[in-house]
Amino acid sequence: MEVTRRQFLRSLGSSCLLYVVSYVPGSGMQKIDSEPWPAGNEDIECRFYALDTNYLDCFVFHEDGSVTVLAGRTELGQGFETVLTAIVTQGLDIPSNRLEIILGNTDVCPDHGPTVGSSATEQVAWGIWEACLQLRKDIILRAAKTHKLQVKDLIYKGGVIRSKKELEQVIKPVETGRGEIVYMTLDPQASSSDRVTLEYKDLGLDNVNAESIVTGTLKYAGDLKLPGTLYADWHIPPYHRKLTRLKSVDLSDAQATSGVSRVERIGSKVVAVAERYNDVVKALARVKSVCEKPYRPKKLRVEQEIRAGAVFQEIKEQTGDVNAGLASSYKTVTETYRTHYTAWAPIETYSALAKMEPGGNEVTIWSGSQYPHRVRELASLNLNLPESAIHFIHTPVGGAFGGKVAPPVSQEAADLSRRVGAPVKVIYSRKNQFQKRGSFKMACVFDFSTGVGTDGRLQARKLDIYQDLGEGTRDTYAAPHILIKHYRTEMPVNQANSRGTSYVQIGFAQESHIDMVARAIGHDPFEFRRNNVALESFIPLIDACADMIQYPRSGLGPDEGIGIGLCNHGARQMGVAAAHVKVDRKTGKVHVKEICAAFDIGTIINHRTVTTTIRGGIIWGLGWVLREEVKLDGHSVYTEFLTDYGVPRFSDTPEIKLQFLDNERPGKPRGCGELPVIPTVAAIANAVYHAIGVRFYATPITPEKVLKVLGKT
Amino acid sequence: MFGLLSGDNELAKAWFTLNVNGKKRRVKTETDEPLLWILRDDFDLTGTKFGCGVGECGACSVLIDGIARRSCRVQVQNVSSGQKIVTIEGLGTRENLSPLQKAFVEYTAFGCGFCTPGMIITATALLALNPNPTREEIIEAMDNNLCRCGSYPNVIEAILAFTNGSKPSP
Repeated sequence: MEVTRRQFLRSLGSSCLLYVVSYVPGSGMQKIDSEPWPAGNEDIECRFYALDTNYLDCFVFHEDGSVTVLAGRTELGQGFETVLTAIVTQGLDIPSNRLEIILGNTDVCPDHGPTVGSSATEQVAWGIWEACLQLRKDIILRAAKTHKLQVKDLIYKGGVIRSKKELEQVIKPVETGRGEIVYMTLDPQASSSDRVTLEYKDLGLDNVNAESIVTGTLKYAGDLKLPGTLYADWHIPPYHRKLTRLKSVDLSDAQATSGVSRVERIGSKVVAVAERYNDVVKALARVKSVCEKPYRPKKLRVEQEIRAGAVFQEIKEQTGDVNAGLASSYKTVTETYRTHYTAWAPIETYSALAKMEPGGNEVTIWSGSQYPHRVRELASLNLNLPESAIHFIHTPVGGAFGGKVAPPVSQEAADLSRRVGAPVKVIYSRKNQFQKRGSFKMACVFDFSTGVGTDGRLQARKLDIYQDLGEGTRDTYAAPHILIKHYRTEMPVNQANSRGTSYVQIGFAQESHIDMVARAIGHDPFEFRRNNVALESFIPLIDACADMIQYPRSGLGPDEGIGIGLCNHGARQMGVAAAHVKVDRKTGKVHVKEICAAFDIGTIINHRTVTTTIRGGIIWGLGWVLREEVKLDGHSVYTEFLTDYGVPRFSDTPEIKLQFLDNERPGKPRGCGELPVIPTVAAIANAVYHAIGVRFYATPITPEKVLKVLGKT
Repeated sequence: MFGLLSGDNELAKAWFTLNVNGKKRRVKTETDEPLLWILRDDFDLTGTKFGCGVGECGACSVLIDGIARRSCRVQVQNVSSGQKIVTIEGLGTRENLSPLQKAFVEYTAFGCGFCTPGMIITATALLALNPNPTREEIIEAMDNNLCRCGSYPNVIEAILAFTNGSKPSP
């Protein structure tokens, strides 16, 4: 049966009171400018996104006093459901067992855009908080009307309206209009006299999925099963996806594998379908394929290739006359930094279950996605079905990090379900997780020329950025002359976003460079930053980190060092990290002993969620700068295993100290998902320099590179 | 695995009796079937996760006679009916969490939660052998369980709090 969102809401409306809340554009919710999606490309990348729908959150007040909230964005393990639960239970003053939150079901949830860019809490959760406050007021007005009472005699408490005079008189929200749909437009910028104000308090809520997680009962997409479900996975060409195609295949051995119901070539891939996943694995191992080997130099020298193909894109920032500024500077420092290819490497590989209805005209897909509505849109294009015939149900996600916006796996499961006439569950092998999409966070090149005066102030900043988008360069360091240009090169692998569009890469390069500028004039790197930051609000963060890590300090051991890194994430979130490392001269390994970090991210909805996310981000940053790398050459991606790739481990875990200076700039929460990674990578690189006096211009700073450099010095 | 020539695999199927979470379970399957997929597909114990299939992530960890093993690398023919298999579902339920599961809740010792069953299984095995591990011993025992969300500090805290009763602030 086809259930549209509208029909669903109507069906609820008969016994409930339904609020549909829209937001004044540009008020509490941010509308993001968009670029159209390339159509019909199954291996699509999320770069930007369109939002042409209104932000319509729904609050359903039921007869039994419970409330259902239908909202946009999805839970990805970052704790969004916990954040929403904290907000709505407090905002509507109800216990959590009377609250149901539905996210990521395309039939009934609004399209709020993808859950990316550390923006869900700021853009959606805080809008829901504002909506709750407005709802309280509105429900009192309604109760006064329906029950012929004076507004001034009524209070909202415990999820119901009570009379101040006769406290036993209780009016449930649903009693103010069963079957009614109320459309409410919210303008958080409205004058304060028209608004309910209530200070949010963090009550330290447990993660709402905690008990399911620790008992293994939380059902991820791969855990779901329908009668007759078949497993599927792919055999792919060994070369870069963008450059190769399958020439011929011999499937006879694979097809003869016992238990396999189908082995078939589809485009440039071969699929195996079987009742048991192990039979899929066996069959795929027996596929013999011949692929076109793309003509490319054997050794992909990333930096040269990027430079050779560079096409100027845009000027990111321009102030004054940068060449004159450089010429008149007391000292100039010119350097090039290069970053490496990285992967998301979630522990849950791409997984989706799909059930096509007989006739092939309607499908339900279960998978974890950062953007369910985009999955539905793509499925509509790929399956040639109207969006109303596609029901996407978001499941818990085993790690996304930018890699599960609308990955092809949902389309594949739906298409295969139509082909085989049974429910199909696609689960990628670990190798396919690394190699099949051919999408990685790009290696980038940065050319800096920076001039500084005798007073230790930055005079001129010239930067050419290759591949990276250059976000995070603005409003970090002040200078009268700035010129930042952006270049791009078409590469054999696809650009993807990972823990941010580009902040990590520029964060490493810019903060490493600023350190070298400070040292060029003999200034302390902490002090140099205090003198040159574009925003005053960085200074208490720098001070907090210096204090926590005890910098400057005497008594650092041999080959130990302390470094600092800053990040201004879109002028919304600010973070500073300091790292204490020890470099082992025998093994070349950089041991990160301690990371101290301070953040200014507005009101914190749940400290436990934020602390967990930030610690995880710090460990991500550590892995990024010291361990992880996708290995590829002119033809192929070679990374196949998590251990080859270098996902960080328990034994990499440093001591972590955190401070939140959210009282400095309280108000709207500003998010922190990507933020902690960025200053961490730079702080570690700078601490390595402090420890052994060697600057690494290319990441990752692996033991092999450290040994090589130490051998030379 | 020899003998798995195309088309003749019915010969390789056999009945196996397994002791899972204290219950005798029977299953007819190929002899080289990984224990992971029997637990997940035949016994519906989906708390044991597939993360890599090559034994390097630890998401599929189960206890076999008290030792944490990678169920993706254990073929069913190599488990005897006398061996006791315990999965995450065998340690506690939502209504009756094991003390270690409670500590994981209290310290939010997870991000997305996908690796968590394997973490709890591995930690359970550690604590059975060494009820009061130091931070270093915890790191050593847990080092081959990977968490991409980076919940390591929280997991260490949860295990420490569980063992010595000292309470680092969550």
